[in-house]
Amino acid sequence: MSQALQRTAAEQALGISLPHRRMEDWRWTDLRARISKPYVPQNVVAAAQDVERLLASSPFARAARARVVFVNGVLDEAHSKLTGLEISKSCAAIAMQDPVLEMNAKLQPQGVTLKFVGQAELLVEMIHISTNANARAMGLHNAIEVAAGASASVIETFLGEGDYVMNAVTQVTLGKGAHLDRLKLQNDAAAATHLSHVIYDLGENARLNDITVTIGAALTRQNGTCTFNGENAEAKISGAYLQRNKQHVDTALVINHAVPHCTSREMFKCVMDDHARGIFQGKVVVAKHAQKTDGKQSSHALLLSENAEFDAKPELEIFADDVVCGHGATAGDLNHDHLFYLTSRGIPEAEAKSLLIAAFVGEAFDLVANDDVRDALVELAEKWVTAK
Amino acid sequence: MADQDTINLVKTIEVDKYKYGFETDIESEYAPKGLNEDIVRFISNKKGEPAWMLEWRLEAYRVWQQMDEPTWARVHYPKIDFQDLYYYAAPKSMSAPKSLDEIDPKLLETYAKLGIPLKEQEILAGVRKQGEKSKLDDEGNEINESRVAVDAVFDSVSVVTTFKDELAKAGVIFCSISEALREHPELVRKYLGSVVPQGDNYYAALNAAVFSDGSFVYVPPGVRCPMELSTYFRMNAKNTGQFERTLIIADKGSYVSYLEGCTAPMREQSQLHAAVVELIAHDDAEIKYSTVQNWYPGDAEGKGGIYNFVTKRGDCRGDRSKISWTQVETGSAITWKYPSCILRGESSRGEFYSIAISNGRQQVDSGTKMIHLGKNSSSRIIAKGIAAGRSDNTYRGLVSAHRKATNARNFTQCDSLLIGDQCGAHTVPYIEAKTSTAQFEHEATTSKISDDQMFYCMSRGLSQEESVALIVNGFVRDVLQQLPMEFMAETQKLIGISLEGSVG
Repeated sequence: MSQALQRTAAEQALGISLPHRRMEDWRWTDLRARISKPYVPQNVVAAAQDVERLLASSPFARAARARVVFVNGVLDEAHSKLTGLEISKSCAAIAMQDPVLEMNAKLQPQGVTLKFVGQAELLVEMIHISTNANARAMGLHNAIEVAAGASASVIETFLGEGDYVMNAVTQVTLGKGAHLDRLKLQNDAAAATHLSHVIYDLGENARLNDITVTIGAALTRQNGTCTFNGENAEAKISGAYLQRNKQHVDTALVINHAVPHCTSREMFKCVMDDHARGIFQGKVVVAKHAQKTDGKQSSHALLLSENAEFDAKPELEIFADDVVCGHGATAGDLNHDHLFYLTSRGIPEAEAKSLLIAAFVGEAFDLVANDDVRDALVELAEKWVTAK
Repeated sequence: MADQDTINLVKTIEVDKYKYGFETDIESEYAPKGLNEDIVRFISNKKGEPAWMLEWRLEAYRVWQQMDEPTWARVHYPKIDFQDLYYYAAPKSMSAPKSLDEIDPKLLETYAKLGIPLKEQEILAGVRKQGEKSKLDDEGNEINESRVAVDAVFDSVSVVTTFKDELAKAGVIFCSISEALREHPELVRKYLGSVVPQGDNYYAALNAAVFSDGSFVYVPPGVRCPMELSTYFRMNAKNTGQFERTLIIADKGSYVSYLEGCTAPMREQSQLHAAVVELIAHDDAEIKYSTVQNWYPGDAEGKGGIYNFVTKRGDCRGDRSKISWTQVETGSAITWKYPSCILRGESSRGEFYSIAISNGRQQVDSGTKMIHLGKNSSSRIIAKGIAAGRSDNTYRGLVSAHRKATNARNFTQCDSLLIGDQCGAHTVPYIEAKTSTAQFEHEATTSKISDDQMFYCMSRGLSQEESVALIVNGFVRDVLQQLPMEFMAETQKLIGISLEGSVG
């Protein structure tokens, strides 16, 4: 089908065909129609004061002890704090194929591999800054490897100004018994397009606690593929959307239970205001011999405006019989009873609303292990609610 | 009690589970093999249809030729050769019977064997003259005689419609669609294709071009249909496709309950069944549509069986109207079926209750669509899928609320039960909320019969199969309760039979 379509100016600039709504996985996010102008890949040199201003705006500036700074898709060692990190400037190739990965490869992305072998001592922040310059496309390809028995805590932050397409691919590999707390905060520029794909590979007894908070960008599409390669592993993948105006977020997450005795938990809390549109496509695949799988998935949407929209496709694909799998999805506005309860006790309506919204997304933040990071997120959410 | 019936029945069943697999030896008249415009003309001519109907069919045929076969469903089957089928088959003796006495006794025998009463019985269920013994069937079970009007469809033609006169007294029109085209063309013309247009999808277009028979129901304003209506579809002739079309209109403030049943002989070759059902509910009207689908599912190796590609859609056109679908899917090699509701009227309501059981090599891809367009519309979906043997069972559904459908409300529950480690159960729901005032809830679970449940039952002396039947009957209870009384017990038995041999 895509071959038959004539390439748009944007597609010519990127050198690939973009996915469109006739493709099942992209039915709610028509990238071909949404990316309307040509974003040419180019290197931009940023002014030091721009970089410092953006760096300071990260809510984790205090909590993070080590920093890996990327400016416009290029590692900036001068602003980074790399002491105590095992870092190499190459990443393993990716065997998978999808439109985000295809574009990523075309953009000749730079990136690093962060390797963790001991116990987590440092909270590491990988921060990706995009400065205001010509409209352009950038690629990133990073890897986080946690060796057998090791543990790590990593934050990936995206901040920016101006108009750009950010395509970030992250490979997360957990060895036997490894433990990783990962947080992604996407607060890209209001006009930006954020595309990402996170590939998780979990070894035996590995523990993953992954949270994605999506606030920025006009258009976000985040893919995730999580594969269990060893038994008794556990993955918690959660997310929160705080979206307004005409923002659009689409999460497509696939959990592959390829081996028995693994547990997966997904929880997405999505807040949409104005004309924002949130989408959650979650798929849990249980292979034929993956008995004793325990998979639970939930997506909850809070629609604050008449014009906000939420679409969900929580999918289960199960080939093993001895499993416990389930999903739940809800969509609705603020509970009027709750609101009435609060206002009848003298709390002004606006304040009551923000309390309820904060409590709604707070459920996702509660999963963050580090207190400082959690507080920073709560503060960020409060700021978002009151910004209106 | 009913559980006990199931258990007893499961016990008595032999290897050959499909008891409706016999073939009636009756001389049939066929249309020439294959499909082209002349065949469409042939069918239309056979039915003595008006010119506009032929045009309508031909239009559908031309649309169909432009379309591609859908491949998105999770079903796999060899490509169907649409030129290798007979599109019309009718018993030769069927030229124009005027009353029951004129019908070929072989046909009557067939329906008697299937347990479908074509003679209008005067006895109400449970009411018997003093001293009269209750009637027993061959197996010694008591026959419940209730008053159900039946339209019996054999291959491409309707054999007989019972209780017509009594229904006519109430103003209800219940006849075959061919007859409706002759007697009430204005009604058919007004409503046919208004819910499922000719070019709606590949199989609906095929059906629109070649549909042969089916039922037509019109309930006038304010009338509560005095009895259950039902249609019984029987496929008999070899290499034929059955394409029936059902149209039910419930005018303002009326109520009708309709049930369809289907069976087919056991054959090595697969047969195609592509039906279209359209329901229209005006203001304050209610339609309850129940299906017990028991087409031949094919043998244990997946040879033969019916390909069941059905488009069913209800249109809650009026305010406060209600459409309720209840389906029990146990047969067919392949099921591709999504009974839907368009909730157009304010405060309209759609319901979908489904039990889909797959065993052997059956493939089921079924579910529903609830499209909320009217204010305060509400819907409820309860789907229970049971996969056993080497089958695949998929629930695929859509719940959407349009921007103007303020206060739309939906509750969805789809549960899957897996029996054995060779089968698959899948859930593919789509949820689209375009207004903040919509309240949507969806939950789904997949599990197997737990060891605890089995242990509990078996420690109390039930055999493994009895335990499974008991637990499964409990699993599907929510849906069973939605079926008309007469069919509940029958269905419970059917569930037991369908799962026979799936454990151990």
